[in-house]
Amino acid sequence: MPSDSRILLTLLAAAALFPLAVHDPYVLHIAILVLFYVVLASSLNLIVGYVGEFSLGHTAFLGVGAYAAALLAQKAGWPVWATIPAAGALAAVAGGFIGAITLRLKGPYFVIVTLSFAEVLRLVANNWIAVTNGPMGLAGIPQGFLQDKRLFFYAVLAVAAVTLYLCYRFVHSNAGRGAVAVRESRFVAQSIGINPFGSAMLAFVLGAGLAGLAGGFYAHYITFVGPDIFQFSFMASMIIMVLIGGKGTLIGPIIGAAIVTLLEEYLRDMQELRLTLFGLIVMAVVLFLPNGIISLAPKLKRLRPHAPARPVSADRGVL
Amino acid sequence: MDLFLQFLTNGLINGAFYALSALGLTLIFGLMRVVNFAHGEMYMLGGVLGWFFTTHLGLNFFLSVALVAAVMAAFGLLIDRFLIERLRGEGEEPGILFTIGLSIFLANVTLLVVGPAPLKVAGAVPEGALFIGPIIVTKLRLMAVAVGIALMIATHALIRHTRLGQAMRATFQDPMAASLSGIRVARVHAATFALGCTLAALSGMLLASIYSAQASVGGLVSLKSFVVVILGGMGSFPGAVVGGLLLGVAESLWGGYVATGMVDVIGFVLVILILLFRPQGLFSSSSERA
Repeated sequence: MPSDSRILLTLLAAAALFPLAVHDPYVLHIAILVLFYVVLASSLNLIVGYVGEFSLGHTAFLGVGAYAAALLAQKAGWPVWATIPAAGALAAVAGGFIGAITLRLKGPYFVIVTLSFAEVLRLVANNWIAVTNGPMGLAGIPQGFLQDKRLFFYAVLAVAAVTLYLCYRFVHSNAGRGAVAVRESRFVAQSIGINPFGSAMLAFVLGAGLAGLAGGFYAHYITFVGPDIFQFSFMASMIIMVLIGGKGTLIGPIIGAAIVTLLEEYLRDMQELRLTLFGLIVMAVVLFLPNGIISLAPKLKRLRPHAPARPVSADRGVL
Repeated sequence: MDLFLQFLTNGLINGAFYALSALGLTLIFGLMRVVNFAHGEMYMLGGVLGWFFTTHLGLNFFLSVALVAAVMAAFGLLIDRFLIERLRGEGEEPGILFTIGLSIFLANVTLLVVGPAPLKVAGAVPEGALFIGPIIVTKLRLMAVAVGIALMIATHALIRHTRLGQAMRATFQDPMAASLSGIRVARVHAATFALGCTLAALSGMLLASIYSAQASVGGLVSLKSFVVVILGGMGSFPGAVVGGLLLGVAESLWGGYVATGMVDVIGFVLVILILLFRPQGLFSSSSERA
C-alpha cells in the first residue's frame, strides 16, 4: 500500500521537527518513550501480526540488547554509536537461536516456550552475579556523546526510522507476503512453494534484532539495566500496544504505542489502579474490538462524503 | 542418604500441590483448549480467600475449604458463561489475550484490596514436627497433603463415575456428537472451567496454610502449571499428577544439592527439552499440534 509509506514518512518528518518546537524536558522524555515503544511494538508486531504466532518472550531480546550494550560500554569501553548496533546484532543472533527452537512449535506451545526463554534469561541475569551484578543490576552506564535530551530524541528517532523502514521492506517483500500467506493458510502456502519456516525465521530474527536495538538505546538512556527488564510487565505493555493499535498493520503498533505510553504516564500516580484498568482494557479490546483501533479507519472513511465507492460495491456483491 | 530422603519428601510434598493445581489446568488447557494465563491468579485467590475465612473471620479450616471451593466454582462458572463463552471457537489467541488481561486485573484488584503483604491461612492442626525414621515432616504439611490427595481422588471420581463427568468426557471427545445426543455443551464447558478454577484455588489455599498467600504469586504459578501440564501430556490426569510430583522432586533436589537461586529454572528447562524431544508429553500417546 503506497498510502502506508506516505503516512509513515509524514509521521517521521513531523517527529523530526518536534524538538524544534518543544523545549520542555518532560515532554521530550515522553516523546522519547513513545518512540522507544514504537520500536518495540513494531518489532513484536512482525511476529504476532505477520507470522501469526504469539510470542510472550520478546523481552528476552530487549534484555539481551540492553545487557549487551551496558556490558560493552562499561567493560569494553565501546562508544555509544557502536554499542547500540552491536546490541541489535547480538539480539538477532539470540533470535536466530531461540527462533530455530520455538518456531517448530505452534499455538500454545510456542507461547509457553517463548515465555520460558524470557524467564530463564531473567533468572540467569538475577543469579550470574559475576557478569550481570545480579539483582543490583548494572548502574552508571556511560551516555557518551548523548549528553542532551534532544540528542537522545534524535537517536531514538533514528532507531525508529530504521525499524519502520525494515518493517516496511519486510512486509512488502516476498518473505513478508509469504509469511502472511502462511498465517492465513499454512497448507495452501506450502502447496505453492512457500517455505513456512524460512519466512517465519526471517521475521523472528528481524523482530529480535530490532528489539535488541531498542534495548541498547534503553540501557544508555536510563543508564541502568537490571533483571527487571525481562519481567512480564514490559511484555504486557508491548502486547497491549500491538493489540490496541491493530496487529498485522504497520500503522497500528505506532498508534498503540502512543496511546498506551501516554495513558501509562497519565495514570502513573495510581499504581495498582493503573494496572487494574489495563487489565480491563485488554479484556474489553479482545471482546469488542478484536482487530484494534486501526480497524475503525475504513469505517471512518466510509462516513466521509468523497470516500471511494469500494465498500459499497463490496456490500452489493454480497447481495 | 538421610538428606536425600528429606529432599525427596519435601519435593513430593510441594509436588502434590503442583499436581493439584496442574490438574485444574489440564482440564482448562488440555481439554477445553483455553490457554488460561489467569490460572495462577485463581490459585492466588484461593490462598487469599482462605486467609479471609480462617484468619480474618476465624472460621474452621474444613468449613473454609468448602467455602473457598464454592466461591471459586461460582466465580469460574460466571467467567466462563459470560466472558470466555464469547471467545469459543475463535482459536487460541483471543483466549490467551483475554486471560492475560484477566490475570493482570485480578492480581491488581487483590493488591488494591489486601495489599502486598504475605497472608497466613490458619491450618487445621497445630504446628509441630513428626519424625518418621530419618525424615522430619510437620503435621501441618501432612494434613495439607492428605487433603490434597483426597481432592485428587474426588476429582478422579467426579470425572469417571458421575453423569457430569461422562458429559465432560463426551463433550471433549466430540462436541458435535455430544450436543446431538442432548448434552448442553455450553454448561459442560462452564462446569469444567469452574472445576479447574476450584482445583487451583484449593491448591493455593492448602499451600498457603504451609507457607503464605501473596497477591503477586500468580504469574509463576501459572507458568509452573503449564510446565506440569506439558510435561505430563495435555488433558492427561495421571500425567498431571506424575508431572507435578516430578517437578517438585526435581526442584527440591536441585535446590538441595546444586543451587537454591536457580530452582525456578528447572521447570522451564524441562519444558523446553520435553517439547523438543517428546512433544506429546510423558503420558500422552498421540502427538498433536506440538
